[in-house]
Amino acid sequence: MRLILSCSGALALTLLLPSTLALKTGDWKTCSQSGFCRRGRALSARAQAASSWTSPYSVDERSIELASDQAGLTAAVTSSLYPAIKFGLEVRVHEDGVVRVRMDEVDGLRKRYDEAASWALIAEPKISKDIQWTVGKKDVRAVYGPKKDIEVVVSFAPLRVVMLRGGKEQVVLNGQGLLHMEHFRTKHEASPAEEGDEAQTVVQVNPAAYFEGETEDAFWDESFGSWTDSKPKGPESLSVDITFPNHGHAYGIPQHATSLDLPTTTGDSPFFSDPYRLYNADVFEYLASSSMSLYGSIPLMHAHSADSTVAVFNAVGSETWIDLSHPTAKSTQTHWISESGILDIFILPGPTPDAIFAQYARLTGTPALPAHWSLGHHQCRWNYVSSDDVRTVQKRFDEDDIPVDVFWLDIEYADEHKYFMWDEKTFPDPIEMTNDVEALGRKMVVIVDPHLKRADNYPVYKSASELGVLVKPKSGEGEYEGWCWTGSSSWIDFFNPASWQWWINKFSTKAIAGEWTWTQSTDSIYIWNDMNEPSVFNGPEITMPKDNVHHGGWEHRDLHNINGMLLPNITAQGLVARSEIPKRPFVLTRSFYAGSQRFGAMWTGDNLGTWEHMAVGAPMVLANGIAGMSFAGSDVGGFFGNPERDMLVRWYQIGAFQPFFRAHAHIDTKRREPYLLEEPYKSIVRDILRLRYAMLPIWYTAFREASVTGIPVLRPHYVVFPRDEAGFSIDDQWFIGGSGLLVKPVTTKDATEASIYLAEDQVYYDYFTHHAHRGAAAGKHVTVSAQLHEIPLLVRGGSIVSTRERHRRSSTLMKHDPFTLRVALSKKSEARGELYLDDGETFAYQTGQIVWREFVAEQPKNTKGLRISSRDLAHAKPGEAVDGVALTSVSPSNPFAKSIESVRVEKIVVLGVSSKPKSVKTEGGAELQFTYTAGVPASGNKEGTASVLVIKDPGVAISKDWAIVLTA
Amino acid sequence: MHWLHILAAALPFILGTRAHSTPVGVQPDLAIKYTPKGDTWTCLDGSATIPWKAVNDDYCDCKDGSDEPGTSACPNSIFYCSNVGHLGSVIPSSRVNDGLCEKECCDGSDEAPGVCPNVCESIGAEYRRIRDAERKLRKTGSKIRSSYIAYAKKEKTNLEAVIAASAQEIAMREKDVAHLQEIADRAESVSASALERKKNSPLYNSLITHSKALASLKREHDAAHERTKALEEILSSLREGYNPNYQDMAVLEAVRGWEHFAGIKPDGEETEGEEETQEDAEEELEEGMWSKERLESNELDNLLKTDHVGLLLAHDEFAEGGASNILFDVTSYLPDALLPTFTSLTATLVDTLSTLGLAHAPAASSGSSAAREAAKEAEHSLSLAREEKRSAEQEHAELFDVEGFGAEGEWKKLQGLCLDRVQGDYTYEVCLFDEARQKPNRGGSTFSLGKWVGWNDAPGVEVGSPEYYSKQRYEGGAKCWNGPNRSLQLLLTCGLENAITSVIELEKCEYQLEGTTPALCLPLGEAGKVKDEL
Repeated sequence: MRLILSCSGALALTLLLPSTLALKTGDWKTCSQSGFCRRGRALSARAQAASSWTSPYSVDERSIELASDQAGLTAAVTSSLYPAIKFGLEVRVHEDGVVRVRMDEVDGLRKRYDEAASWALIAEPKISKDIQWTVGKKDVRAVYGPKKDIEVVVSFAPLRVVMLRGGKEQVVLNGQGLLHMEHFRTKHEASPAEEGDEAQTVVQVNPAAYFEGETEDAFWDESFGSWTDSKPKGPESLSVDITFPNHGHAYGIPQHATSLDLPTTTGDSPFFSDPYRLYNADVFEYLASSSMSLYGSIPLMHAHSADSTVAVFNAVGSETWIDLSHPTAKSTQTHWISESGILDIFILPGPTPDAIFAQYARLTGTPALPAHWSLGHHQCRWNYVSSDDVRTVQKRFDEDDIPVDVFWLDIEYADEHKYFMWDEKTFPDPIEMTNDVEALGRKMVVIVDPHLKRADNYPVYKSASELGVLVKPKSGEGEYEGWCWTGSSSWIDFFNPASWQWWINKFSTKAIAGEWTWTQSTDSIYIWNDMNEPSVFNGPEITMPKDNVHHGGWEHRDLHNINGMLLPNITAQGLVARSEIPKRPFVLTRSFYAGSQRFGAMWTGDNLGTWEHMAVGAPMVLANGIAGMSFAGSDVGGFFGNPERDMLVRWYQIGAFQPFFRAHAHIDTKRREPYLLEEPYKSIVRDILRLRYAMLPIWYTAFREASVTGIPVLRPHYVVFPRDEAGFSIDDQWFIGGSGLLVKPVTTKDATEASIYLAEDQVYYDYFTHHAHRGAAAGKHVTVSAQLHEIPLLVRGGSIVSTRERHRRSSTLMKHDPFTLRVALSKKSEARGELYLDDGETFAYQTGQIVWREFVAEQPKNTKGLRISSRDLAHAKPGEAVDGVALTSVSPSNPFAKSIESVRVEKIVVLGVSSKPKSVKTEGGAELQFTYTAGVPASGNKEGTASVLVIKDPGVAISKDWAIVLTA
Repeated sequence: MHWLHILAAALPFILGTRAHSTPVGVQPDLAIKYTPKGDTWTCLDGSATIPWKAVNDDYCDCKDGSDEPGTSACPNSIFYCSNVGHLGSVIPSSRVNDGLCEKECCDGSDEAPGVCPNVCESIGAEYRRIRDAERKLRKTGSKIRSSYIAYAKKEKTNLEAVIAASAQEIAMREKDVAHLQEIADRAESVSASALERKKNSPLYNSLITHSKALASLKREHDAAHERTKALEEILSSLREGYNPNYQDMAVLEAVRGWEHFAGIKPDGEETEGEEETQEDAEEELEEGMWSKERLESNELDNLLKTDHVGLLLAHDEFAEGGASNILFDVTSYLPDALLPTFTSLTATLVDTLSTLGLAHAPAASSGSSAAREAAKEAEHSLSLAREEKRSAEQEHAELFDVEGFGAEGEWKKLQGLCLDRVQGDYTYEVCLFDEARQKPNRGGSTFSLGKWVGWNDAPGVEVGSPEYYSKQRYEGGAKCWNGPNRSLQLLLTCGLENAITSVIELEKCEYQLEGTTPALCLPLGEAGKVKDEL
């Protein structure tokens, strides 16, 4: 970039500065710059090159012990490389068939980090009660599952763990013989004699060299740039290969800017040259296609084929690199190289994507049911500069009748970036400001980062320091000091339990004796946790030195990837604790780990305002969803840069179809709030936002389902059609929950149409034009118009979607608005849909204060008519209604249901009826007014605009049972 | 029960008893269109004919939303609240029955009965109080504004006098110049060749060389100085404006290096170290050597402007003992009429004598030089007079420029008036119609926030309208670190004082200031008109 600086007078000086709008790749390691990754890849290369290769690890069969309940077994493992070193293996089968494999060094010089799973898991998994292990000469095995078709086999020599279904290998651990747990050792001080005498060295035979290599590559310290990692524990990395011999597609291991169907990193002409890296990092201006690590890590991988889905969850908290290849189109090999920690792998048997979601949810929990308002439109900017600025922004939104629910404040609200401490010069009246926002039913979100300014006049830092809950430097003494927004800073060590209640109290809006609390805030202020990788400006790879020391003496290297999750976890607890009637928390986090879905939302970080970044945001959000983090989104407009008008419009379109929907912009950008756009862009964006608000019931219903089942809110094709090969690599179109809405946002400039893939022989209706598109059993692409103001959005035949179409300024103001039901008939003239409602804000839903309806349209027997009915799902399936609580009954007249009993259905739109009905009546009631526009029926194969029947004000309540009958 | 159900149920009854009563929410000027034809009614856009009872039944039938003026059923309808006791008002349908009491509808008619109290009495009273206060302000302000206009008129008279006076002076000076130039021309034609000879003097040549060297040195010095200043500005600007989000420790190091070099403490206060550095730098000067300050003063410039030819001649006079040559001085005593004859005569004489080696004609003698100086001085006076006239004429022309000081010249009085406001660590200063600046309160360099470029240029704003004068633009200020050139907008409203009331940096390096000025206090009649239009 050229920076021109003009000085007084005639003198003009032109400077050439190095480009700033580009990733500084040199700031982050490649595998070859990371000692243990280098060692891991070298091991793999030696295995590849060897004519024969056998893993040195084997089970001592005499050591096998079966637990009293039979579901778990333990065994001793040795390595032929170091016969004196002992390892212990443990294999357990959970109630739902998940197999957990753990291995650790026994009686080693030091202890490997073994707490990753305890942070990720929601609870100790229940062990199966009906497992029978059969100990044989070569292996120990168990057959289980409802169909007794799952078998897990632990082979002794070499050690291998295999899961089979129907006799077919699903998952194989150490099938390639790359398992290697570097044991703790003492640093070998080379004597001068040895150093000087090459002959002597050659004579020495290193029996481990065939496996470990000849040299001790970066065993004891390692430099990167100007930083040196002191590695006090020496080498302790863990390498394990995981093979999916019958699965040709792999998904997951977020977060990477790449396609959902993960491209290869090894094998023949790999797509990426480096392995996928999991090492939470604040990557400035990240690349739109890369295997580099980003802000968060979820070590969960799905492997998928037309007849089976399985998954592995590798509960490791240290830096991890994953190589991936497809030796054949139908198989997948992976190689996981971690810097430290025990081996703790969960094998999820599937056999379908939905089963995987349930199994993974039982391990790490489901996404929390978010507050309803948080599904609305969030408006952020670095920075709204004063309380009056916030008020003006709100006023401008309202003047243009553009809906918005949340205004955000980035770091500049805080005096010298001392989080919580309002800059009194610019925000003299934070409570009044928040009340002014709250008056329209809106909320505020304010940023609180984990780095604390080291200033004695900052009570949060001071109390943390006194409490001793700050991360320590490598000496293990004192406070680690690094550089971040606040200048010289220290970081809260949330691994220290002493920090928890202290941090929770910070969010109290009331005074607590002897403690600083945030009395200058209200219950309507929610929290954004940024920079929690953690980002350290002057640290190696812009993060914390690995030899920093956390609670319990663990090195930062052991738990780096988990670290980011703890801040939003405790923050969310603080938000719940502050209110007398607890409200659902909202915490946005940039960094995350397995289990983060329980605490709030994430976003894809500091993206660029480019078409490439807009496009890659979609698979990134999808990948997060299948790894549990459904509440995800990308910054609309792109954080960096000034997007062109058409790009901004497209970005609102894609943002409106992602779960977390926030517009955000960097401090160096021009303001771009929708009200600033000129026509026609302003009206287009307003319409997009109104569409999002109309569809809030759909989003909320999808979130209820995700919160109970773990099935993601955004569903990619392989999740909805797991047997349809042609859809396995599709990641630019997706379904919204179980609603039947299929969207394909446009992410290219000047597009005028879009091609949508339909995976089944079914009718799909254009949401806006009602054009009936016909799919095919073999899969088919259809073309839809996609001018700048148009969003390619279809409704799958067989769906009933509920919307609220009244325009309001915020979602809270829609609480009593009537519903519109869209009945999109299937080829068989049927349809169903769900609607979930609750107060959207408190935890009253956990006591059964909900409305959960099912709408069904079907042809009554022996007639050509149609019956559309509403039934109480909450009453029918109380135990499945709410996550985490097994309700035994839900009263149809619960207080919430009563509070909305007057809320009606104002309109029912039926697409695809075959002819104009003779009459439309409520069952046992009056004739209803309707209009009918002739068109293509749902059945048959005709293309064209579908018939549209609009029933006016059917006089039925949304929360009540009713039926409407169409007589043909 | 939802109030709209009550409404919907109640409507037929109301309509039944008073068939032509206007539905809720209809604007008065449209009321006449809300008349049923039998039992039906046609949407205002003619798109459909619907039963009259479908008007305000909380279901949208018309494309233009005209059937639901009193509900939120149609996305594009407008709700009218009569606000008895205050002024009637309209709100979009999105605000009808949303549970909030809109301040635009003080009668509470936008919500279900009982939700919102009728507060029109107090709202109306408050409205009138504010309106009266505003009128009072405007009245007083407009008096000040009138004084500004009077000032401009007086300026006009003053300028016209200046123009007339300078026109006279120009005429007089033109004559002087013509006369003196003629004398100088005559004198020089005699002396040119003699001067050439004198210029061969080694002393003179050495002087010229020295002078050129000094001029070159000064040029280089100035350039180096400007470069240093520019670099210092870059570094200061880097230090103050660098964006930590670039997370670049190299930048941080550069900033720290600069702070050390310039002796600035990281918190912005200058250290004692700097004084020490300066003390160290102050060495003893050799006698006669120029100090840094003296070198940078205009003493050096004056030295470089020395008339070397004059000096050469003066030197000759000095060397010859100061006696003037009667032959060349006699001209002073001759009447104008004889001059041409005399000069040609002496020229011939001197030429002859010179050829014979008997007389040295003093090239560009003190006589001709003095004549030339006199001519030059007269020319200078003439150009000053012309400049005075030109600038007065320009000022005169600009005085009532709609895009400048306004059609009545009401802004002229404020030209160059500097207003300032302390905000945070900076003082913001706007010198009206000139330049805006940001001065750090704790030391450091002042940045230009831009020079005056004009009034409100937003699309749709009519030149010369009150809205046009409500915004002053200043652009092209100092460049921001990795950002644009600083710029400023001054948003003005009527007030009794010329003052800045707030400062906000909405986007990086784009400042928005609010202020008041009597110049915008239009007389009540006009203000009223403006208000009515709004």
